[in-house]
Amino acid sequence: MTNEAAAVTEGVVMGTQFWIATALFILAYALIISEKIHKTIVAIFGAALMIVIGIVTQEDAFHSMELGIDWNVIFLLISMMIIINIMKPTGVFEYIAIKSAKVAKGKPFAIMAIFSVVTAVVSAFLDNVTTVLLIAPVTLLICQALELDVVPYLITEALASNIGGTATLIGDPPNIMIASKAQLDFMAFIYNLSPVIIICLIVYVITLKFIFGKRLKVKEELRQRVMAMNENEAIKDPVLLKKSLAVLAVTIIGFVAHGALHLEPATIALFGAGLLLLVSGVKEPHHILAEAEWATLFFFMGLFMIIGGVVKVGLIKWMSIKVLEITQGNLFGTSMIVMWFSAFASAFIDNIPYVATMNPLIIDMAKQLWPNLSGVELLHHVDLMPIWWSLALGACLGGNGTAIGASANVIVVGMSEKMGKPISFKKFMLYGMPLMIESVIICTVYVWVRYYLLKI
Amino acid sequence: MKAKDLMIPLQEYLTPETTLKEAANILRTARRDEDKTGVKGLPVLDMNGKMVGFLSIGDILKAVFPSYMSLMNLGDFTWDGMVEDMAKKAGNKKVSEMMTTHVITVNEDAHLMECVDHMIKNDVKRLPVIGKDGKVSGIIYERDVFFAITKAMLDENNGGVK
Repeated sequence: MTNEAAAVTEGVVMGTQFWIATALFILAYALIISEKIHKTIVAIFGAALMIVIGIVTQEDAFHSMELGIDWNVIFLLISMMIIINIMKPTGVFEYIAIKSAKVAKGKPFAIMAIFSVVTAVVSAFLDNVTTVLLIAPVTLLICQALELDVVPYLITEALASNIGGTATLIGDPPNIMIASKAQLDFMAFIYNLSPVIIICLIVYVITLKFIFGKRLKVKEELRQRVMAMNENEAIKDPVLLKKSLAVLAVTIIGFVAHGALHLEPATIALFGAGLLLLVSGVKEPHHILAEAEWATLFFFMGLFMIIGGVVKVGLIKWMSIKVLEITQGNLFGTSMIVMWFSAFASAFIDNIPYVATMNPLIIDMAKQLWPNLSGVELLHHVDLMPIWWSLALGACLGGNGTAIGASANVIVVGMSEKMGKPISFKKFMLYGMPLMIESVIICTVYVWVRYYLLKI
Repeated sequence: MKAKDLMIPLQEYLTPETTLKEAANILRTARRDEDKTGVKGLPVLDMNGKMVGFLSIGDILKAVFPSYMSLMNLGDFTWDGMVEDMAKKAGNKKVSEMMTTHVITVNEDAHLMECVDHMIKNDVKRLPVIGKDGKVSGIIYERDVFFAITKAMLDENNGGVK
């Protein structure tokens, strides 16, 4: 088929290349959702095919900002993983968790509330999976000490980690991806998302009080087991801990200032990782680097290249035109649809491929709306901003809907099963879905009031 | 020397359906040689006498060890009686839940160095020996390999000391 013979819809040439790339994209996503083949393998092979078939060039895939791997995301993730891997053996995370249980005086609901808040706050700065992997083992220990059912604790922590992760640029991969594509800085996320997440978290804990407040009971003598724990024993390497905390502080200050410094977040994170590797006295970095989540990182890389293919052939542009037809240019309507659609989509499918697709779609949509603008003027158009925030809120919080909605959920379900306490899909959803809807309603009101009513 | 010359012929074994309670007792009372009892591991055989796994005392320790404790350093925060509580629950688990299914074995005719090779590379102290019929005919223990080595070292013909 020649290009002349191909259907042309509003500037999108639906030729052979278009259909091949679209088919490859749909097939790859279907395989990822089916979980028949590991998602990373699908992403790597799909990406390679996009290049081999000639949809994108290797130059596009490896080096193009628009069509290729988003190295900002990859290096930010790698660097944060390195920092955590160096900090883990210091015992700081055990310390925080044991200390929290003691602050709660071993009282069951107080433990749930404090663990949820701690998980949310830690998740705002670390990857959610990492946070849950650090807090859940201590939760299991505490619940065993108190002879409590661990399931409500694990579920509420996973939900809290997804809520907390939404608050900052570095808290959850969708935010990292949005920040990179939309060129939004760390403080923009703090200014726009943190306030509503704080509200969501407060309401979340109050809701937990209603659900669990009266149900959780513990024997007095068992509380002594928790009170007898000495959190100071957790600190295995105080020297490394001090160095790590200093570097972490520098890194966070760097994130806060990166917009003003005109440095990308990945640069700040890489600086932090490099500095900590240097001062930690690690002789052989091999094991620290090996412990990075390479499967996740390659999943991202593959996905970026696959998306690059469908962006190049115009599928995403075509989709953005269709979205605009549906919303008829009503941007408030668009942002509400984006938030709620993202929430329900992310509850059932991985929010990473979802956001990877939505990002170029929103940019293409903006290009249709404001054809004369480009660069930051286009990306940061005052009418486009609420849509970015709606995407972030919907995609991150939506993960709470089901047991498979977010990686943190998958982790706690797996851990619980290992402990002989399987959490069924239905059981997780019974807690997750209403709590997700609650938080998305809060966000809906927030976006409406802040961006469309008060316009601040 | 070959594996069959050094192995201790198989006397006792476990089945996948044996409970850990029973298995622990068998491990404690199994005959090691003429005057000693207690072994550190036994093969697990199915109804047809085919080996399906191996259970060692390390697996019994793992049975009382909560999986979450391997994820972080939590040993400092445990309490008195925790192992005993876990042991009560673990006693009714089946051998099949805790046994190692990937068992390193040698054939009867394997040379001694092959046995040493397996022991070093896989960090195991016991090697089930598989006979011509495909079934376990005995077990080679690290200490018996050690005795064979010592014997060779001390042999006068090798210039060793008497």
